[in-house]
Amino acid sequence: MSIISKLTNSWAQADGAAKRLVVKYAILTAALFLPLFWAFLAVRNLYPVAAWNVMMAGGDLERGRSYCILRGETVSGETIDVAAIEISHTLYSRNWTMVNATIDNQAFKLNSIHPQNEAMLREYGGIQNLPPGARIPNLLQAWGNLYNQRESASSPKRLKAIRLDMYRWESGRYADYDKFVESWRKEL
Amino acid sequence: MIFVPFVAKNSSPFALGVVRFFVHGLFLFDTVFQSYSALGSLPPTLLRPTGVMKFLPWSFYDALQTHGGMLTLKTLMLVSLVLSTAGFLTTFSSKTSLLLVAFYQGLLRSFGHFNHDEMIAIYFLVVLAFTPCGEAFSIDALLGRTKKDRPAFAYAYPILLMQLLLAWAYFSSALIKLRVAGWKYLSPDNLPALAIFHSLDNLHDTAFRGAFWLPQVREYLPYLVGLVLIWELLFPLAIVFRRLRWLILGVGIVFHFSTMFLMNIFFPHQLMMYVVFINWESIAGVLATFNSYRISYMSGRQRPTTSAIS
Repeated sequence: MSIISKLTNSWAQADGAAKRLVVKYAILTAALFLPLFWAFLAVRNLYPVAAWNVMMAGGDLERGRSYCILRGETVSGETIDVAAIEISHTLYSRNWTMVNATIDNQAFKLNSIHPQNEAMLREYGGIQNLPPGARIPNLLQAWGNLYNQRESASSPKRLKAIRLDMYRWESGRYADYDKFVESWRKEL
Repeated sequence: MIFVPFVAKNSSPFALGVVRFFVHGLFLFDTVFQSYSALGSLPPTLLRPTGVMKFLPWSFYDALQTHGGMLTLKTLMLVSLVLSTAGFLTTFSSKTSLLLVAFYQGLLRSFGHFNHDEMIAIYFLVVLAFTPCGEAFSIDALLGRTKKDRPAFAYAYPILLMQLLLAWAYFSSALIKLRVAGWKYLSPDNLPALAIFHSLDNLHDTAFRGAFWLPQVREYLPYLVGLVLIWELLFPLAIVFRRLRWLILGVGIVFHFSTMFLMNIFFPHQLMMYVVFINWESIAGVLATFNSYRISYMSGRQRPTTSAIS
């Protein structure tokens, strides 16, 4: 009660400018927190409204998981691991999900599809006929070009091809992490 | 002044100005050191616009995902963030920086996933855009372009609001984990399975292998995960209890670095937002004291009195 009465007294004593400021801050607070409460209740992220559902489901040892290794084939004949962060730094923390989404053809499952993706869908006769990772070659081309831009024209480290190797951790136990699944390769 | 007893103490135009400098400065740092041309090289056909980013037409993204488009975006962001970090034309520049950063972060999330690292910093930009954050520690203040007769509440409440936003991130995160996974979240295999999955590829930012050690201590991990949940639930206490604050924030620093070494997941932007809990008035006071002693020592005069320092 004392806090409420203090607030009431403060409000009564405040001048017009102070009251306007309180109203403005109340609106700011509501504009920030109401969408956040909604996201929390719905457990849904709708940019820029965030539900902090980070790692909410936790890990399940019994569930198999696929993952990818980005590799390059150099002009000198070596096969090297290429860390995505080194060539696509701006996307940091998001490279792995970009790859997963591209493998899953998620860009073709939107309500509004990019015109070039629409054309590709027509070409294949629908999403059901689209191979996994239909746009992975485009991504590999972009990454390969970015990688080679860092190397001099005569460098033996330049890539002649870049590939994405997918593996699966069948799980159930803490071993056998690298069962090969498939690979996408792009000549540069 | 009205309502001051109910909001954060030691919050002043100076404290709000320093927070503005840090938050806008962090995004300025990112903008300077990130290669926008590399982002522009990615084909727009990979995009999956998220949230409000869906309102923009594909022709806009086609124009943006080019060298020229990215150069324009980076130039605009650099100019705006330099102005807002320095506190010049702050009323205007803090809003343009908010719009540009929110757009850019939305673009990144349209390629990848809804990463939460920068979200709190974006909400801080919202708070700063609509509060008098340029009235101290700014070029506007040096030029005398600030309004002097605001109540203390005008500066104290935004600090409190930012603290509440940060606390909400942790508190709601714990509640969502409990709602979605329930007690299963405390299973001994939860953390090792998740951590190992994030350590297998070479698409994460780091390639630490600490996760593979976790199965050896799996019987202790439910207690560790439980402690982290309790810490997240207790995070709001950092706003109220000053003695607990440093313990809670200290655990936060350890937690975020642990996730980097064990899971290759790091939230540096969220960690940097802890600056909102620092009592900048006190630090300024300590620095002023040190400076007064230094000047006194250098000039060989008598030590200044405490009242002179304050």
